[in-house]
Amino acid sequence: MEKIDKSAKKVIDKTKKLYGNSPDVNNRLINIKGTNVGILFLESSSQASTVSDFIIKGTLYAGSNKNLFQNIFDTLKNSLFNSQLFTINDYSQFPYFLSSGFTIIVVDGSSDAIIMETRAQLDRGVTESSSEPILRGSKDSFTESHSKNLGLIRKRIKDPNLWFDELKIGRRTQTRISIAYINGIADPKKQKEVKKRLQKIDIDGILDSGNIRDYLIEQKSIFPQIRSTERPDVVSQALLQGKIVIFVENCPFTLILPTVFIDYLHTSEDEYQKSANITFTRVLRILALIVTVFTPAIYIAITTYDQNTIPDKLLISLAIQREGVPFPTAFEIILLTTIFEILRESDIRSPNSMSAAMSIVGALVLGQAAVDAGIVSPITVIVVAFTSICSLIFTDIDFMNGIRTWRFIFIVAASTLGIIGILSFTIVWLIKLASLENLETSFLSPFAPLSKTSQVDAIYRAPEQNIYTRPKYISNLNPHRQRRSK
Amino acid sequence: MKKTILIIITIILTISLSGCSGYDELNKLSIVTAVAFDKTDDEYELSFLIANSPKSQTSSKEGEAKTTVYSGKGKTVTEAIKEIEQISPKQIYLGHINVVIISEDIGEDGFLKISDWLIRNPQTRKKFYLLQAKDVSAKNIIKIVSPLESFPSQSIATLIESNAQSKATATSVTYSNFIGQILEKGFDPVLPSITIKGDIKDGSSEKNLETTEPESYLVLGPLAIYKGDKLQGFSTDKESQSINILKNEAKEFNYNIEYQKENISIEASKLKTVIKVKDTQNIEITVSGSGDIYNINNNIVLQDYKEIKKIEKTWNKEMKKDLEKAIKKTQTEYKADIFGFGNIIYKNLPKKWEKLENDWNDKYFPKLNINIKTNLKINATGSLVKTIKEGE
Repeated sequence: MEKIDKSAKKVIDKTKKLYGNSPDVNNRLINIKGTNVGILFLESSSQASTVSDFIIKGTLYAGSNKNLFQNIFDTLKNSLFNSQLFTINDYSQFPYFLSSGFTIIVVDGSSDAIIMETRAQLDRGVTESSSEPILRGSKDSFTESHSKNLGLIRKRIKDPNLWFDELKIGRRTQTRISIAYINGIADPKKQKEVKKRLQKIDIDGILDSGNIRDYLIEQKSIFPQIRSTERPDVVSQALLQGKIVIFVENCPFTLILPTVFIDYLHTSEDEYQKSANITFTRVLRILALIVTVFTPAIYIAITTYDQNTIPDKLLISLAIQREGVPFPTAFEIILLTTIFEILRESDIRSPNSMSAAMSIVGALVLGQAAVDAGIVSPITVIVVAFTSICSLIFTDIDFMNGIRTWRFIFIVAASTLGIIGILSFTIVWLIKLASLENLETSFLSPFAPLSKTSQVDAIYRAPEQNIYTRPKYISNLNPHRQRRSK
Repeated sequence: MKKTILIIITIILTISLSGCSGYDELNKLSIVTAVAFDKTDDEYELSFLIANSPKSQTSSKEGEAKTTVYSGKGKTVTEAIKEIEQISPKQIYLGHINVVIISEDIGEDGFLKISDWLIRNPQTRKKFYLLQAKDVSAKNIIKIVSPLESFPSQSIATLIESNAQSKATATSVTYSNFIGQILEKGFDPVLPSITIKGDIKDGSSEKNLETTEPESYLVLGPLAIYKGDKLQGFSTDKESQSINILKNEAKEFNYNIEYQKENISIEASKLKTVIKVKDTQNIEITVSGSGDIYNINNNIVLQDYKEIKKIEKTWNKEMKKDLEKAIKKTQTEYKADIFGFGNIIYKNLPKKWEKLENDWNDKYFPKLNINIKTNLKINATGSLVKTIKEGE
């Protein structure tokens, strides 16, 4: 703790020096009946008009008041118009408030300083979600503004038991991080554990929720064990289930803990659409998952090791298609998949104006020309295209990348050991997934360990009025979400 | 650290030591879909129909496959295969054999002499169709190209499948059930036969595909009758039908009867044959089923219930006569128990069978007393009551 100098002029000079005479450090010294009142704010992060309208006007008005109190400090504190006004007596807090867009008022002879919120609008408004589009449901998404993000949740859950636990992490960035949970539903043990893990972080800067994700998991894995979303309704659903959500300042992506495997196959829409159809959609998603992981590997295995399994006519057609292709099947598949992954990566990075050119080159070069030139066989293009389409069903980029890694592992296994290779590596994969655990929740819940009561919303989705309990593997505190009608 | 090294070593070892055993690229294989066995003098001649030879180098589109026949000769089957392997530029792959055709010489010599190689080979499926070539060599049959199917073995397979369902002169016999019937007690097998109509040379060239009416084509013939693994002879078409009815293989077929000196065509369906053993000398067979009248060319008015009953009676009588004739012929001429009467006796009266077993085909089977009952009914007359005639 560092005391604030009693001279306003000295404080201003000291602050200017602290910021290395940066031009955006703005100050005003007003003399009221012989007492100096210093006003300090950063032009870059504060709204200058707010400062002029409310603070300078208010200070001058207070100065002109004939019935002035003995103490100018108290007068100002009581007469300025602002909803967020408080005093501090620690100089070391000055930079945090200044950079956050607050205005600081120091008065000669007082060791306290008045702090007022005059933040500038440095973020965009609430827009439609671009990374998780849905057809049916609310369209808003989180922004870079921390208070707006919390507001989007408060708006949805009006229960005062929705608690935010705030921390500041990052020695230089001083990033605000809020742990949101519903008191009485979420497991306090888990909430404390999350907080403990976050408090341990000692780093110079946190810019995104992705920075802190790795501190929150217990075992390393290719698959993400924490789901991130930019949709307020997904977060609200998670909170109501008893999950813990972490908001990071300046980041529209929140983290949801604990996350299980099946969460990646769910969307927020599943709760809004007809439940009977959702079960079918979920089965399709699981099918797509299996297809995208195994298809290239199975294709390699059956065409190079187990030709017996292919129907006669198909085998002959495949053999004819492969005629004249110079590379082994495995190489062909790896080549095409790699080209597709590069195409996907460059498509994300390239500006919108170039995407049309990209898709033409991609479709023509990958599809038509490569086949005509005899580099790859048409069936390989079909296999890779089918695999890629199926992988696009999942919105979480980390999950997609995890699947991609395992797809390559299976391709290598199939090209060296055939079907047996796929089988043995499937076992390895399942063991790896089943051994993952975070916050006492197994990654394959509710299937392993099996929880019968939680099956109402895993693959099968029961009608809303039949789901009485929250998933037990998340929190056991308050399992009833719906009263049974009499 | 130690653990990671161990894992890496395990992965490297599994990948390197497994090697590429069984690894075959599709374009390095010659996919054999049909095999023909012939015998000339003392040598076996083996022919493979290879289905995946592309028409030209640049073509990679589906359905443009051409077929090639490679054949080799040798004192044993393996010797003949060795010769084919020398001719074929690609590795011979036998996993997709569809059809195997054996010539009459092979049948007379004994099928078991060549079957060993087919069973022993781990690549081959055991469910392919087995056919007997009649009058022509087996090699010529797999050469005939059909305009309706992309390669010959496929056309033979579809021919058998459709025929077994609708005509009842031929049945589909797979390799595994043929061998099973040879080995079973009191059972002799039959094989569908196949032959060529038209000129062989024209039929095996691409020209056959270009004409609207093919120069030559494949026809399924009557059943070949075996005794054990040896060919005894061929039945007639009518007999084949009767044999199939008795073997419970025919479900639907067309039957012509003569009634009031006119031909009536009946489409029989839902046929069922039940064989009962009374004792070792007497066997009772009941054939039941129904039929629809398909074709009448005279003045019979089908509104009359009595008329239909009369037709029914004639049908029952003629059918019975046919069946009896077919059984008599196998009993006297071939002495081959293709209906498996011995097998039924063996299953029902196993103790008595022990005495009969050795002399069954020569002594007891020809003397077997067989009593046939027919219970056939005419169900429907189609959508016509009277035949259409001028002036009405």
